Amino acid sequence: MDNALNLRQRAVILASFLLAMILAIVPLPAAVRLLRPDWVALVLVYWCMAVPERIGVGSGWILGLFLDALYGSLLGEQALAKAVLAFLALRFTLRLRVFPRWQQALAVGVLVAISDLLVILTKSLVHGTTPLWRDTAPMLANVVLWPFLFAVLREVRRRAKIS
Amino acid sequence: MGTFLGLSLKQPSNLTKLIVLAGASIALMVIDAGHDYGARAVREVGQQASHPLQELAALPFATAHVVLKDAQDNQELRQENRRLAQRIERLRVKVARLNALQAEVAHLTALLKGSSLPGYRAGLARVLDVSSGPFTHRLILNEGANDHVFSGQAVIDAHGIVGQVISVGRDTSQVMLITDPDSGVPVVCARTGLRAIVFGTGAPNRLKVPYLTVTADIRPGDTLVSSGLGGVYPPGYPVARVTEVKSNPNLAFLKIRAVPAAHLNYHSHVLLLWPKGQHKAYAAHG
Repeated sequence: MDNALNLRQRAVILASFLLAMILAIVPLPAAVRLLRPDWVALVLVYWCMAVPERIGVGSGWILGLFLDALYGSLLGEQALAKAVLAFLALRFTLRLRVFPRWQQALAVGVLVAISDLLVILTKSLVHGTTPLWRDTAPMLANVVLWPFLFAVLREVRRRAKIS
Repeated sequence: MGTFLGLSLKQPSNLTKLIVLAGASIALMVIDAGHDYGARAVREVGQQASHPLQELAALPFATAHVVLKDAQDNQELRQENRRLAQRIERLRVKVARLNALQAEVAHLTALLKGSSLPGYRAGLARVLDVSSGPFTHRLILNEGANDHVFSGQAVIDAHGIVGQVISVGRDTSQVMLITDPDSGVPVVCARTGLRAIVFGTGAPNRLKVPYLTVTADIRPGDTLVSSGLGGVYPPGYPVARVTEVKSNPNLAFLKIRAVPAAHLNYHSHVLLLWPKGQHKAYAAHG
């Protein structure tokens, strides 16, 4: 479990994050945009579960900072959320691993939802906006997407022999 | 290693990291919300770093946009192409008309040259109408008695004899072509001086030369020029070219076919000939 990742394995993980970020900012029609899942969060949760000793709170925070720059949101907003998410994922990783897939999806959805709520909270604190019900749409999308994303990333992990 | 406030310093726990980083996040947010210069610099660095990512994300859409625009351009080019093709067609028609005009100019120039027949004065007349059935080959000219046109007047073009005026109206006159079945033109063979009469057949562009005995010296390619006998046509002007000479032993005469020298099918203008000296006399009659 504690073997260090080689360069290629690091590249694979980095590439998965980059791809997630691209998917997170790909322009979408307004109708679909609401249902855009939080790709980066899901990928982060997966890698936290898969290699908890490599990907964790620090990685999440850096990732979040980068997302802040990407979204143009307040610096630290996503960083905080992603750090919290990584922390939660690490905290529950052993339990998450043994859950059946649908239950796992729900649990991950809840974790991501908590981090999202943190973002919403921050936004409403800083900008004075009221949280809207429609902000929960991506949370549902996360739950739906998770099983598929999990399968894909597990395949990627196995191919790259990341244990 | 050692501990600090009960926390391991070597491998800080996740909670420690979270607390530290959450503090850092909140600090960043506060700084950023305050429009601090340092935070802005950090943001700019981050934005520059993420710029390639944004480009990459926008790439499919940019490509789609380009493709759509190409398709639109294609459409416009097609339309323009069609428009230009139509224009070319119109211009072609114009060119054809210009060519026709040029041909007419050449024709008129040739007519003017042909008008220098000795002993005759030539006048240009426009062809108003053409009647050509199996039995009549006629032209209607825009010159009549008012223009001193007289019945029996010779009509020629640049290449040969066209026919003669057979009836004269006030402002128009009717010309019987040499291909008219009623027409007969006294000719001589330019090569041998053999006298003959060229008759119309009623078929366009075909003449016959009957009443030549089998011993007559005439060959395909011979040019027949008017002899001036009969006084209607000017002498020495081309009438026809022999195309076919058939000799049938059972018949007394040769069967000779000829084509008119004048371009009977191409007329827009012809020349009317007035014999010099006679002009006044006929004018007085008219």
